[in-house]
Amino acid sequence: MGSVSFQHVKKQYATERRYSVDDFHLQVEDGEFLVLVGPSGCGKSTLLRMLAGLEDISEGEIYIGDRMVNYVSSKDRNIAMVFQNYALYPHMSVFENIAFGLRLRKLPKHELQERVTRAAKVLEIEALLDKLPKHMSGGQRQRVALGRAIVREPEVFLMDEPLSNLDAKLRVQMREEITKLHRKLQTTMIYVTHDQIEAMTMGTRIVVMRSGIIQQVGTPKEIYQSPKNMFVAGFIGTPPMNFIHGTIQHTSDGVFFDTRRYRLLIPAKKAKVLIDQRYHDKRIVLGVRAEKIACKDSVDWSLTQSQFDSTVDMLEFMGSDTYLHLNNTDHSLIVRVDPLRLGFQEGDTVTVGFDMNNVHFFDPGTEELLC
Amino acid sequence: MKTLQMMTRRSGVSLARAWRKAKAVDWFQRITFLGLLLLAVFMALPIIFIFNHAFKPINELFLYPPRFIVQEPTLENFRDLFLKTQSLVIPFTRYLFNSLLTTSLTMIGVIGVSSMAAYAFSKHVFPGSKFFFALTIFALMFAPEAVAIPRYLVIANIGIMNTYFAHIIPLIAAPTSVFLMKQFVDQIPNELMEAARIDGAKEWLIFFRIVMPVCTPAIATVAILTFQGAWSQTETSNLYIQVESMKTLPYYVMTLTNGLANNVVGQGIAAAVGLIMFVPNLIIFLVSQRRVLATMAHSGIK
Ligand SMILES: Nc1ncnc2c1ncn2[C@@H]1O[C@H](COP(=O)(O)OP(=O)(O)OP(=O)(O)O)[C@@H](O)[C@H]1O
Ligand SMILES: [Mg+2]
Repeated sequence: MGSVSFQHVKKQYATERRYSVDDFHLQVEDGEFLVLVGPSGCGKSTLLRMLAGLEDISEGEIYIGDRMVNYVSSKDRNIAMVFQNYALYPHMSVFENIAFGLRLRKLPKHELQERVTRAAKVLEIEALLDKLPKHMSGGQRQRVALGRAIVREPEVFLMDEPLSNLDAKLRVQMREEITKLHRKLQTTMIYVTHDQIEAMTMGTRIVVMRSGIIQQVGTPKEIYQSPKNMFVAGFIGTPPMNFIHGTIQHTSDGVFFDTRRYRLLIPAKKAKVLIDQRYHDKRIVLGVRAEKIACKDSVDWSLTQSQFDSTVDMLEFMGSDTYLHLNNTDHSLIVRVDPLRLGFQEGDTVTVGFDMNNVHFFDPGTEELLC
Repeated sequence: MKTLQMMTRRSGVSLARAWRKAKAVDWFQRITFLGLLLLAVFMALPIIFIFNHAFKPINELFLYPPRFIVQEPTLENFRDLFLKTQSLVIPFTRYLFNSLLTTSLTMIGVIGVSSMAAYAFSKHVFPGSKFFFALTIFALMFAPEAVAIPRYLVIANIGIMNTYFAHIIPLIAAPTSVFLMKQFVDQIPNELMEAARIDGAKEWLIFFRIVMPVCTPAIATVAILTFQGAWSQTETSNLYIQVESMKTLPYYVMTLTNGLANNVVGQGIAAAVGLIMFVPNLIIFLVSQRRVLATMAHSGIK
């Protein structure tokens, strides 16, 4: 029973004026891989530490399984935690590091031996068991830290940015391994990161946080395709979503999104929502992802309905994709294009169009999604 | 033949490499090195003297000008020390025993109290924690002379005059050690203790199994400092002990060198005791110096 339930959890540090975690309410199912993501200082670690019993809960309740754990000490919560800086015991061998928790639980010797060996096998660190942490690389240390967590066979794994001390290549590899580990163990994992790529690739569900408040909860796909507000839209996805400020114009030809440089026809369904909400002649923000903008003559050009000209400011070659940075005097746009069409030069004028069925409109005041 | 050739060639190569390395060292480094070498020799002279002096026969002890190196080494001084003093009221071995006992208990006490205090100050918040630490720092500033009388009154009033406690307890309050240990414990990341807590360790277990082992360099340093302070001090014997049989070795040495200044035999005994006083210092240092030199950077925490 590794479900976790947060009931309106709040945290206020004695030295802080605001809540560091504010009204966090969420049900995590058994076996889920939940990723908490958000910018630095948004309260992710605080939340995880409250769940681990390392930090008092100011208000609200946390349940692990059916048990309210607010006043249960860390060691009795049946959780394991992996820290960003690994926190391996520096004076103990890898074996002792992994076995420490079991020894304190007075496990019989043969069982201890067996469980440590099994954990080491899963993580492929059998050869390192006699080594001291200081004689290992970052990736190996991280594996040992994972070993220390899985050997305990907890109900819930907590991980606080476990990969952020690794170099880029190793991070990708470990990302995969943790995902595989989760698939194998089927244990609930709560994983904290500020890296949206980790969140997208690893999580079965993502919680996006800002300033201690949940912005959106959903599968990676939901969060990417229908972000609830401008913050989520801008935070998730590389490159970030393009935002364009403009107004809504209702004319006899239809409903248009109007900037000073161009007008884009809004499809009927979205137009109806906007007009019903009385956005005629009001300021609005259009959000469009880099891959929903097409250049003239490209394969997905047919999807676009309105078009305009723009100048290429900069080319960013990424290997499988190329990003064009376009300059539209009052705002810039990032467009993803096929690198096979490398005909573009900086300073060129290109004709681009939006896939208007896949743009989002946000209220510039509340930053909430309108349609 | 072939192997010999190879060997000479290899040693030639390594010699050449060493030469090239030496050439790469700049003038400033060479001069500093030479200066430090001379300084080291200079600092080593007293040690050489102590060792040689203890084995000098009487005529060499009184030689003028004095010689560093003994000409005809003899164990006479030690024999005098062990045999002649046995006939006195208090044998020399009694002083030695007192010193060994009180010094080791002091070391254990200081290490225990300082590391626990340091852990509490560094990693825990308790009512008055800031105040008590400030008080400890404040205590660093007192000259020993300033506290002699109040300390005497405390010792007298808690009734430990003329006991071993009078040698030990005044030294256990060691603000320098607390400060030194705290600086070290401060560097231990909190996550280490949190990991242990999640692993199921209670507070005292975290202290003994995690904090203490990680702090061995600091503990070794404190051990050396405490030993040197406790082993050679005569204050406690002077001030708090009136019973001769409870006094310590350094006190005995002092009476030898002061009282027996004109006693010819006494000089030989003093030389021998001088060496016996010095040897534990050397042993302690040799045992713990590697630990002392190890720093946080080497311990694999960071
Ligand atoms: N021990 C503390 N005392 C007081 N305030 C704290 C403490 N720890 C965190 N905070 C505050 O709580 C807020 C959330 O911090 P938290 O460490 O949870 O952020 P985070 O999302 O984990 O950030 P990061 O990605 O940088 O790790 C921050 O504004 C921080 O200033
Ligand atoms: Mg954090």
